[in-house]
Amino acid sequence: MTLARHVIRLVVREPRRSLATLVGVTIAAALITSVLLFGVASGATVTRRALVGLPVDAQVVVTPGSDVAAAQAIAAADPSVRTVSPFELAHFDSAAASTSGSTTQTSVGVLVGIDPSYSTRTGLFQPSSGTIAPGEIGISRDLASNLGVVPGDSITFTLPGGGTATLRISGIVSIDGADLVLGPIDAAHRAAGTNPPTNVAVMGRSDLESAVLAKIPATATAADPATAAGGGAANASPVFASDPAARRELHVQLDHAQLPGDPIAAQTWLDSVRHRVERQAAGTFTWVDDASASLEPLAADLAWGQILFIFLALPGILLALALSRLAADATADATRRHAALLRARGATRRRLRGVFVGAIVLTAIIGSVLGVLLGVSIGFVLFGRELLSAGVQEALVRAGLIAIVLTTALATLSAVIPLRDQLREEIAAGRQELQRNRPPRWQRLYLDVLALVLGAVVYVVAGGSGIHPVLNAEGNPTVTLALTSFIAPLLFWLGGTLLLLRLAGAFLRRGGRIERVLGRLLGPGGGLAGRSLTARAAAASRIIVVLALAVGFASSVLVFDATYRQQQRVDAELTLGADLRAVPPASANVGVVGHLAGRGIAASTPFVDRVVYVGPEAQDLLAIDVATLPRVAPLADGFFQGTTAAGALDALRARPDAILVSAETAKDYSIIPGDRIRIRVPDANGNLKTVDFTMAGVALEFPTAPKDAFLVANRAYVAAQSGDDRISFVLARADGDVGRASADLIRRLGAGWQVSDLRTTSARLANSITSVDLTSLVLLDVGFAVIIAAVGVALFLLAGLAERRREFATLVAIGAEPRQLRASIVGEALFVGVAGIAIGLVTGTLVGVALLQILAGVFDPPADVPAIPLGLLAAVTAVVVAALGAALVVADRGLSRLSVVAALRER
Amino acid sequence: MTVVCCQALTRRYVEPGIEPVTAVDSVDLEVEAGSFVAIEGPSGSGKTTLLGLLAGLEEPDGGSIMVLGHDLSRLSRIERARLRQRRVGIVFQSFGLIASLRVADNVGLPLALAGVPEAARESRSLAVLEEVGLGSAFGARIDELSGGERQRVGVARALVIEPALILADEPTGSLDEENAAGVLRLLADAVRRRGASLVLVTHDPASAALADHRYRMLDGRLTAGVPA
Repeated sequence: MTLARHVIRLVVREPRRSLATLVGVTIAAALITSVLLFGVASGATVTRRALVGLPVDAQVVVTPGSDVAAAQAIAAADPSVRTVSPFELAHFDSAAASTSGSTTQTSVGVLVGIDPSYSTRTGLFQPSSGTIAPGEIGISRDLASNLGVVPGDSITFTLPGGGTATLRISGIVSIDGADLVLGPIDAAHRAAGTNPPTNVAVMGRSDLESAVLAKIPATATAADPATAAGGGAANASPVFASDPAARRELHVQLDHAQLPGDPIAAQTWLDSVRHRVERQAAGTFTWVDDASASLEPLAADLAWGQILFIFLALPGILLALALSRLAADATADATRRHAALLRARGATRRRLRGVFVGAIVLTAIIGSVLGVLLGVSIGFVLFGRELLSAGVQEALVRAGLIAIVLTTALATLSAVIPLRDQLREEIAAGRQELQRNRPPRWQRLYLDVLALVLGAVVYVVAGGSGIHPVLNAEGNPTVTLALTSFIAPLLFWLGGTLLLLRLAGAFLRRGGRIERVLGRLLGPGGGLAGRSLTARAAAASRIIVVLALAVGFASSVLVFDATYRQQQRVDAELTLGADLRAVPPASANVGVVGHLAGRGIAASTPFVDRVVYVGPEAQDLLAIDVATLPRVAPLADGFFQGTTAAGALDALRARPDAILVSAETAKDYSIIPGDRIRIRVPDANGNLKTVDFTMAGVALEFPTAPKDAFLVANRAYVAAQSGDDRISFVLARADGDVGRASADLIRRLGAGWQVSDLRTTSARLANSITSVDLTSLVLLDVGFAVIIAAVGVALFLLAGLAERRREFATLVAIGAEPRQLRASIVGEALFVGVAGIAIGLVTGTLVGVALLQILAGVFDPPADVPAIPLGLLAAVTAVVVAALGAALVVADRGLSRLSVVAALRER
Repeated sequence: MTVVCCQALTRRYVEPGIEPVTAVDSVDLEVEAGSFVAIEGPSGSGKTTLLGLLAGLEEPDGGSIMVLGHDLSRLSRIERARLRQRRVGIVFQSFGLIASLRVADNVGLPLALAGVPEAARESRSLAVLEEVGLGSAFGARIDELSGGERQRVGVARALVIEPALILADEPTGSLDEENAAGVLRLLADAVRRRGASLVLVTHDPASAALADHRYRMLDGRLTAGVPA
């Protein structure tokens, strides 16, 4: 008979053994597959989100002398192109303004010409005050700061080639998000968003043509900032000296519905669009692919993200594979019996090993395939939309193959190790006792202690470094992640698990106390359970560890997720300012606050955000109502330096002219509490008026404030001193559900008002990993942890039942009542369950806190205290206890069906 | 006084796809108090099933069983368990000892199940262990004993409840000749000293020869009583 036939026969004829092994492998493969699919789905989500925030997908740079209209027609004709907006840019060598009799000059910058529809389409260059009037310019806040100018003043620009243009300022424009379109374009035809010019003036395209471009010679190039005249060169942008002085561009937005979900496939698609359009251009323009540049760092981020997701799920995968080991233990007798039979029929030791290893591999392959199918089904249920998006099919197949190969290999390894012992026991039964009493090799080598010490060394050497957000070349937040971040916790986890196994085994082997406690609790059956636990110390300690790790795994993921959400909410609240923000339609004063009152709104407060000048530097002045703000906005003590939130507000309340300054401002200007600060504040007409304030403290964070320089003062004082009582917006706290309150508010306020709420506000640090919603991953990890715990306990109890079959039959024969037998298995389950769950909850919480330390960099602000989701932890415990109960019911039914006479006859 | 009385006792095993087997076929049996009854027969003749029926571990398909004045068919599972716990000792061929318990705990197990306090349990266990010649093994582990010693512990466990009836299923089947004779003599003497009854099933004529009454079982039928 061939080996294959023997293998198949063994798998089919030992269904209990095959099924038990299959369960662990299937769970492991399903978990690996669904986590990988989560990675695929999150890739699609991240790709979609990365491009949502991009103002333009491509910049088409028209070759000097080529026809812009013809180029626009070619680009617009492509089926993937949604909009094409003309954009013109001219460099200036310097800018100067005369105010109050003195002239201030600044260095290089750019003048931008756009059509009125450009801002609507791209969201760029929105006026933050005033407008871009025909024939006039809107300037960036930095240019205004550098020259000390306000709307109404004029600036004289010195252009490449020596010409000048004097233009009147009609507003201040935001250049947020415009880095890519303002920056130079490098030799590889890529937009270099690094250090883009901050001295920016924006005007109508036709005005730029007539007032600026007409004065720049065709051969002129942009000035080298290093040699540019005037102050501020050190802060100016390093544009390339070889850049032409002016460029004409077409800004293209693509139809994102056609974009594949996978970032790599998306890049291929973007390349194909570029090639298609460029083919028709015949050198009349160059396609600068901003979308592709934005996707590039995602691939690396996602690779790290995948590692993070796998790391979060790794304990679950290892635990699921440990089930295969438990299954091997549970069916060890059957294995020995079958091996003895084959030996009796003349099978050589080599053939015996071949048959059993073959059976394990076959079972592992079947289990892996079943697991992959289960994982794919779970994946489609949880994140079907992303998985159905274009271009992820290949990733799906890849995930399935990885899961099958990995699980088969690991499951084979984890089942072959005990098999070796079982076959050896069959072959040399005489050495059985000796082997049983000998501790396993890892205990003799103290691998547990070694792993913990190594983990500590790696942690200290790596400085506990974890994930750190940084800005990439395009100015987008991305993530750097040291591989060492994972080594230390992995070693802690492995060492801790083995140490727990050692301690649990040692405790169980000295089981006198367990027997007494269980005996007192459950009677003679309980005492027997204690004895049985001592006798089965190795198996019992294994299941305690599996249970503890499963519960610990679920708890750590829950603690991590709860804290992650808490910090996301804190971040979003800081960005928005409160649950809700309502911007009035036009200039409105404090009287409009009353309009918000109504259903769903618990409290509201007026808020003023005005650009003011501290010396030459423009900063955000946040003017608040001290009485009502604390009822609306989140104010933590950690937001203020050297005082509490209440203390800081008291300081504001104590003096009308009190002002809180940001740490950066306090440091830059050497200001301490009590100092008088003179700040130029715009009046109702935009004219700057000097107002005196008294420094009252330092604020590190404040609702709605930018991350660097800002000021916080009393709204009534600012209004009285500047003569401008207009407010910027109203902040409100929802009474109950924020979404419902927001919908009610939108209905109540009517058209013109802009209402934003926490749901629509993304956290400021929305990098590729933190923008992923972890709900599905948490659901996966916790769900599998509970299943692993339940299956583990069931296997332990059923293995115990099989192992103790004759013992139970003897007990029945000598007069044990059913309740006493039941007490015996309940005692075992009780001890194992209480020990496993208690250890799991404690270690899980500790691991969760450690994970937060490792991943501290992704939180902004970092979490001081982890969020402990008591309700969810209780729910997980309840589910595990219920699973334990179900396993007990199954074991009890098995016990009641026990054929005593037949069991007593067994040898 | 009759300790065991069976009339037309029948036990049939019916499993789908397999020819029904009548393991015990219309057996009539009476065991008097203080008597030693041996039931002989080859393997598969139904001896162990009959013993299981007498112990209340199996339920008959027909006939009646009275044990120590109780009609077993009228007793619940719990009542049958209590009857075994307090009045019926059982000795098994493969000893039926629990490896995780010490010798003394194995012996005292029926007393523990009956709720006898620990001190009383220990003194009674020690007494019977001394009776079977194993007083020194009181605190020993089972795996420290030889086969003969293990079976003597099994006998001590059956005796510790001071039973009125002892059911022994091939108690010497796993022992060598010398140990087998010793254990059987020990069992017979202990039963006689207590005035209890002993039902021994065996395929060994030499063991059966020690009994007061000998029966032969073949294909489920108790064919004839063989006077000792």
